[in-house]
Formats: sequence, structure tokens, C-alpha cells
Amino acid sequence: MQRKLISGIIGIFIALLIGAIIMLLQGYDPLQTYGALFNFSLFGLFPFATTLRNSVPLILTGLSASVAFASGPINLGQPGQLLMGALFATIGGLYFDLPPWLMIPVLLLLSMLGGALWSGVAAMLRKWFNMDEFITTLMLNMIADFFTFWAISYPFFDRSAYSPMTPQINTKGWLPIWGEFNSNVIVMILAFAVIYFVFNRLTAGYEWRITGHNSLFARLGGVKIDKNYVTVMLVTGALAGLAGGLVVMAGPHRFLKGLGANYAWDGVMIAVVANNGLIGTLLYGLFFSALQTGSLGMELITAVPKEFIMVLQAVIVLVIVAGRGYLDIFLDKTVAKRKARERTT
Amino acid sequence: MNIITGLINGMISGATPILLAALGGTFTFYAGIFNIAMEGMMLAGAFFAVLGSYYFDSWLMGIVCAILGSLLMAVIFIFFAVTLKTDEFVTGIALNLFALGATTYMLRQIFNVKGAFSNPGIVPIPRIHIPLLNQIPVIGEILSGQNLIVYITLLVVFISAFVIFKTRFGLRLRAAGYNAPSLDSSGVSSAKIHIWSLIICGVLCGLAGAFLSLGYVTLFSENMSAGRGWISLAAVILVNGNPWGIALISLLFGFTDGLGLLLQQYMPSQFTSMVPYVATLIALYFYSIQARKRKV
Repeated sequence: MQRKLISGIIGIFIALLIGAIIMLLQGYDPLQTYGALFNFSLFGLFPFATTLRNSVPLILTGLSASVAFASGPINLGQPGQLLMGALFATIGGLYFDLPPWLMIPVLLLLSMLGGALWSGVAAMLRKWFNMDEFITTLMLNMIADFFTFWAISYPFFDRSAYSPMTPQINTKGWLPIWGEFNSNVIVMILAFAVIYFVFNRLTAGYEWRITGHNSLFARLGGVKIDKNYVTVMLVTGALAGLAGGLVVMAGPHRFLKGLGANYAWDGVMIAVVANNGLIGTLLYGLFFSALQTGSLGMELITAVPKEFIMVLQAVIVLVIVAGRGYLDIFLDKTVAKRKARERTT
Repeated sequence: MNIITGLINGMISGATPILLAALGGTFTFYAGIFNIAMEGMMLAGAFFAVLGSYYFDSWLMGIVCAILGSLLMAVIFIFFAVTLKTDEFVTGIALNLFALGATTYMLRQIFNVKGAFSNPGIVPIPRIHIPLLNQIPVIGEILSGQNLIVYITLLVVFISAFVIFKTRFGLRLRAAGYNAPSLDSSGVSSAKIHIWSLIICGVLCGLAGAFLSLGYVTLFSENMSAGRGWISLAAVILVNGNPWGIALISLLFGFTDGLGLLLQQYMPSQFTSMVPYVATLIALYFYSIQARKRKV
């Protein structure tokens, strides 16, 4: 744990340094830029609340990827599952009219159903035809992209709008906002707690982890690999779908084109940096959200365009992941050296 | 008749970028690298192609810049995956997102636009009209008048098949993927073979990118590779890396691409755009059925 923290902090530091060098080369002031970046994302109530709100889709898709990768399935379908979840929640929000205390859970469940349905397709293709989920989920992403685009252009199109989008969902399905604080964070924390508990405390989670670690050992130990595979796919799909539903219910309250943005791929990156650890996913998700939230302020104060953050994120991922392996070798070496010295004296 | 030639020409231009990237991917496939960075390399190639073509007023410089841009991605991949031994999957994902971020960023920094850059100043790669062939009625329209890159691609298929199966480098390439330690112990550095395969992949993906932004259309838009790198990866896996198989599969995907355009008269364009991806799933289905039969 401590080692992870050290390698993370060192990695982020080095990545920020590389970012500073890129900025210097282009004639920007790195200190001012980073100052603006974190001023607009962490310091102050409103910036921090915005960072928290924006972190929700990142953390949930990251969690989806983490759980999937740690349990074996290479589910890369978060982008498609997020979109399907968002579409399901939107459709529910358009046609249902229930009191809020019932409406919100129903929409959340619908979004999870949408995501699980889409990952379920990949899971079934794997189960019945032994098709590699790594490629099928990627293809399903593109198909979901076009399908939701069609859905908001024709059947659920808002006739008063000029670009493809649905009408706003029923106000009873809007997530409550208290001051600066958006309640989507609560849903995220609940989902995180449930997943953390299942993954670390229940037999099911133990089986998933063992399967991800060594599937042969798990199978010999009596774990039903196939059944667990489908469960993990459905659960991770539901998580990504939930992310999509929350995006709709907390933000624009409708499905508009480009809704999914890059959340899901960022989530996959977060899972990768966190080495599929759940707490790591939470922390890196917050950090990435801080970067993205601050990028708007950065663009406002300095001349650095906000797209720079996308570059910085990829640099952070590469540096941390590459550094992790190297740091381990380095630390092991120092420990071994110290031991060797103790033996000789 | 016009529909058929149109369909075939659509098939060829749809297949070209996928085929080029997949041929690049097959070199790394044989070398035993899990390379999923074709998407990013292609995107970088497409961007730098427009950059070079626009600033040097020459499509040739466009191609050169595309290859250099794509090679830059390959060099980053080599640095992390081969030198630092970072996980290849992680490197690939990060690199794809890096390419997406960097091209979007540079699109704004250099051309001051968001979304897409198109300008009459971008010189497209010319179509080649072959003198005698273009006299033949129907076949002439297909064999002649294709984009230069299409002919290069055809050449690359032959060269790739030859290099991989008939040369010493090809033997070592396959050995690196088959059993790297034994290649190392026979005195050939497998790391070096990995590096060369990635460089070749970079060059070919650069060409693919140049075709996308200077041949298929004459503009650069954000994320314009649109999953073609992933389809090419699927193509490589489907035929276990065989260049001839890849050519066939790519033509099939190109055909579905052209078919999608044709079907646009009958159904919404969103559904016709899905066709290549659905075709990939169907191809994968037949592949796994076959694989299962082989096992039994």
C-alpha cells in the first residue's frame, strides 16, 4: 500500500514535470497554469463540489474496468455500456411519472439494466460461441454509439431542438442538488461501498479475485468459472450503465449528442493506473476529475487550451505504470543490497 | 453497371486503411507483441499528413510527415513496452488516448479550429491513371484511377508476405513471437526484432493515416480513425496474421463499408454506419466456430 502511494506520487510529480516542460517549450508559464488548474478544481467550495460531481462517471466506469480486469474478463465495453445506460434512463425518464422517491431509484435501476444488457450481449457471445470479449465489446461500443445516435435523432428526438437530442426527462427524475453539492456523489459512494464489500468481503468477490489471479487454480478449487464470468460482465456493465444514467440525471437531464464524452475511456485509464485496485480507482478518479474540471479555468486564465489535459493524462498513465515496475525493481534491489551487506559484516 | 463499379471502388477505398494498418499489426503479431496502438498510430499519421501537406504544399511531404508522426508513436511504444517493459496492453491504451488528446490539442494550437480542419490548401494524394488499362470498359474503371496509396498497399501485401515467410528477418520475426528466449540464446536479440516490427507497424499505420486524411477525404477531424485500428486488430486475429487472409478480410470489411453507403437510401445512416462493426462480429463468429471444430 505504501509503495503504491509512493510510486503514485512520484509518478504524478514526474508527469507534471514533463507537462511543465511541454508548456515551457510552447512559451507558457507552467506555475501559473498549474496554479489556475488546481485553483479551479480543488481550492474552494464550488470548485471542489464541481470536481466531485464530475468525478462520478470517471470513478464508476473506472470501477467497472477495475473489477472486470481484476476478475479476468477484459471488458473494454464501458463506452457502449455507459451510452446504453444513459439511453435507458432517459427513456424511463420520458415516459414514467412517479413520485421522486420512487422515480430516481427506478431510473437508476433502468440505467444499470441498460449497461448490463449491453455487456450481457458480449458475455453471451463469449459463453455460446467462445468469441473474445476483448474485440466484441469494442465493436459493441461502436454499435451502441450509432444506435444511441439514431435513437436521439429519430424516435426520441426533441422536435423543438436543432441538433439531435431528446426532450428533458420528467423533473421528478432529476437528482436533487443541495447548494453546490450534487447528490450523484451519494449514489456513486453507495455503489462503491457495495462493490468494495462484495469484492473484498463476500465469497463471490473472493472467487472473482482468485479467478483473475489464476483461473486454473480457481477452477481446480471448484470455482464455477463460466458462471462467474457472466456475473462479472453483468456487474461491470451495470456499473458503466449507472455512470451513464447519472450523467443524464445529474447534468443536462436529457440525452444529447456526445453525452458519453471520453468518460469511459478515461475510466479504463484510471483502472489501469490504479492497477485495478478499488481504492486506487477512487483516488485516481478524483485526481483525473480535478484535472478535467480545472482545465476550463486553466483555459480561462492562461492561454493553454483545455485539450492539453488529455495529453497530460496519457503522460501520467504511462509514467506511473512504467515507473511502478521500475520502482519495484529498484526497491527490491536496495533491500537485497542491504541484506547482503548485513550478511558480510 | 455503375452501381457495381461504384461498390467495388467503395470497397477498395474502405479496405485500404484497414489493410495497411492490419499489415502493420501482423508484423507485431508475428513478433509476439500485443499491439493495440494501431488506432493511435493511424490517427497521428492522419493528422501529420494534413499538417505536412498543408505547410509544404505537397502530398509527398504529407505522406512523409504522416510516417514520421506515426513513427513517433511507435518510438514511444518501443520506449515504454520494449525498453521499460511496461505492460503492452496498458501502453497501447495510453498511447491511443495520447494520440487522441495530442491531435485534438494540436488541431487547436496549430490550426486554431475545433472538431475538423479542412482547407483548399491541403493537397490530396493524386489518383493514378494507368494509360492503356483505363481504356478497358468496366475493369478499367477499377484497375486504373485509384489513389496512389491503393497501389502501394497492393505492393505492401506482396512484400509483407514475402518478408514474413521467405526471408531471414521473417524467420527471426516469427521466432521472436514463437519462443523469444530460444531466439535470444541463439544470438539474435528478440528485443531488436520487436523494435523493428514496431517500426514497420508505425510506417504502415502512417500510410494508412495519410490515406484517411489525404485520400479518402481531404481534411482532418477529431478521432477520424473511428475504430478502424480496432477493426484491423480484429482482422489480424481472425486470420492468425496471414497477409493474404488479412487482404481478403479487409476487402470484406471494405465491401460492407461500401454497402453501408449504398444502403443509405433505404435506412437511416446510423444503421448503415454500423455495418462494418456488425460484419466484424459475424466474422468473429465464424472464426470461433471454426476454431472450435479444429479443437474437437
